[in-house]
Amino acid sequence: MTALLAMEEITGGYGDADILLDVSLKVGKDEIVVIVGPNGAGKSTAMKSVFGLLTIRGGRMMFDGDNITGWAPNRIVQRGICYVPQVDNIFREMSIHENLEMGGFLKKGDLSAAFDRVYTLFPDLKERHKTLAGSLSGGQRQMVAIGRALMLDPKLLLLDEPTAGLSPKYMEQIFQICRDVRDTGVAILLVEQHAKQALAFADRGYVLAAGKNRHEGTGADLLADREVAEMFLGG
Amino acid sequence: MDFLELLNFYVIPGIVIGSIYALGAVGITLIFAILRYAHLAHGDLATLGAFVALAVVSGLGVSPLAALPVAIVATAAVAVGIDKVFYEHLRERPKIVTVMASLGIALMIRSVVQVFWGVDTQTYVRGIVRPEDYFGLRIRDREIYTVLAMLLLVGALQVFLTRSKWGKAMRAMSDNPNLALLSGIDNKKVVVLTWVIAGGLCAAAGFFLGLNTELKSLMGWSMLLPVFAAAILGGVGRVEGAVLGGLIVGVAEELSVLWIPSEYKAGMAFVILLFMLLVRPTGLLRGKVL
Ligand SMILES: Nc1ncnc2c1ncn2[C@@H]1O[C@H](COP(=O)(O)OP(=O)(O)OP(=O)(O)O)[C@@H](O)[C@H]1O
Ligand SMILES: [Mg+2]
Repeated sequence: MTALLAMEEITGGYGDADILLDVSLKVGKDEIVVIVGPNGAGKSTAMKSVFGLLTIRGGRMMFDGDNITGWAPNRIVQRGICYVPQVDNIFREMSIHENLEMGGFLKKGDLSAAFDRVYTLFPDLKERHKTLAGSLSGGQRQMVAIGRALMLDPKLLLLDEPTAGLSPKYMEQIFQICRDVRDTGVAILLVEQHAKQALAFADRGYVLAAGKNRHEGTGADLLADREVAEMFLGG
Repeated sequence: MDFLELLNFYVIPGIVIGSIYALGAVGITLIFAILRYAHLAHGDLATLGAFVALAVVSGLGVSPLAALPVAIVATAAVAVGIDKVFYEHLRERPKIVTVMASLGIALMIRSVVQVFWGVDTQTYVRGIVRPEDYFGLRIRDREIYTVLAMLLLVGALQVFLTRSKWGKAMRAMSDNPNLALLSGIDNKKVVVLTWVIAGGLCAAAGFFLGLNTELKSLMGWSMLLPVFAAAILGGVGRVEGAVLGGLIVGVAEELSVLWIPSEYKAGMAFVILLFMLLVRPTGLLRGKVL
């Protein structure tokens, strides 16, 4: 497998304390990779480390042949990684359409093809494109957030708990959208609280605990692993 | 007192001074929305704008209104410069550090004004301007220009914020700075843009204050309290709120002399500010950034 993203023994944290301890993971082209693990394991922190949103004290971040460790966020975005944070991932006071437009901020020239692509994935958003994003339901906000991240046609999409707090119906819909997006050639790395469902649908998974790699494998293997099941999937 | 008298002596002057406050308050609100601190040098920056216009009027012999664009451009440039030299490297520090720094800048600008233009009272045009009579309403031309210019400038700003790419980027930065960064929006450019707009509006506020009253080195400083009251009254972060707040504070100040001695007129802004902070700190139009 040629890795699109390779996190190589990343160590770092927010202040002086290290949250991530030698975390490594890879995402291949056309892959959906999921990170699962208990609360506070450092899953979100691992995602933020891709964008250098914390102090990295060891290891390096390789993306598509470039060492992107220490790059400014807008350069990383331009290079092809878009990121949907776990919280505060929309512009509340802006309309759906404006949220998407901001997602496409770095694109030179016409955005209409990008709008078409996103609105095809999320027909609901097109209908309500003038609505303020802050007034939408949780599920629809999540779609705006993902839509915003897709506007630049990224090579890799980072999604931090896109299904948190959503009904099973919405969860299934978001997973389906992930597959559709992957089928258009976008690799996805996501963090999931719904570990079982996520491992069942992802190509590969990583189990993170206390800031360290604990297990990795295909979704099916991890689901079948007794230790993983007992410790992290609630039996 | 009849109704026309009320309009002529209190409401119309209130709307005029309110428009001037509005121009200042919009800048205060924008700076707070993007940079998240109270800019205390705003009043003195307005003073500078007013005196730059005076220099153009007396130097080139043009009419005051023709000098306004020059004052706007110059003050915008000064505002950007001040940010680059003084505020930029305080960005990561607690905001109160920048607030205190801006107080220092206020004193500095005032000194510069006093060195160049002295401490005496000056005017753009000499002599008394008599108001025209419009069906009993007595209005001076300069008062019409003031209100029109405010509406025009704020209207243009609203179009910019809602229609243009960079205007939307400014709103995005105010709404969710972290996500704006993750969308690739260059926050340095947004900050420069904010100072250009706030500085330009500030010059307009100072200019029209000078045009309707007189120019003196403390003119802007004494406008600071009503301008902040206006911004908070309207809801911090809301441009249309700042305009509404400015007009209310202006009219309230003028009307207050019906009940209290006019020396205490300036206290109205303070009363409004206190009242809003106690009763509805988010402002009339719910503030976006508090
Ligand atoms: N901005 C921050 N500053 C300081 N510490 C932080 C910050 N964000 C997270 N932490 C700490 O880092 C550790 C890992 O947090 P992280 O958010 O990465 O966990 P997580 O696995 O995403 O958890 P969750 O499932 O609750 O989202 C926690 O101990 C948390 O308190
Ligand atoms: Mg998390």
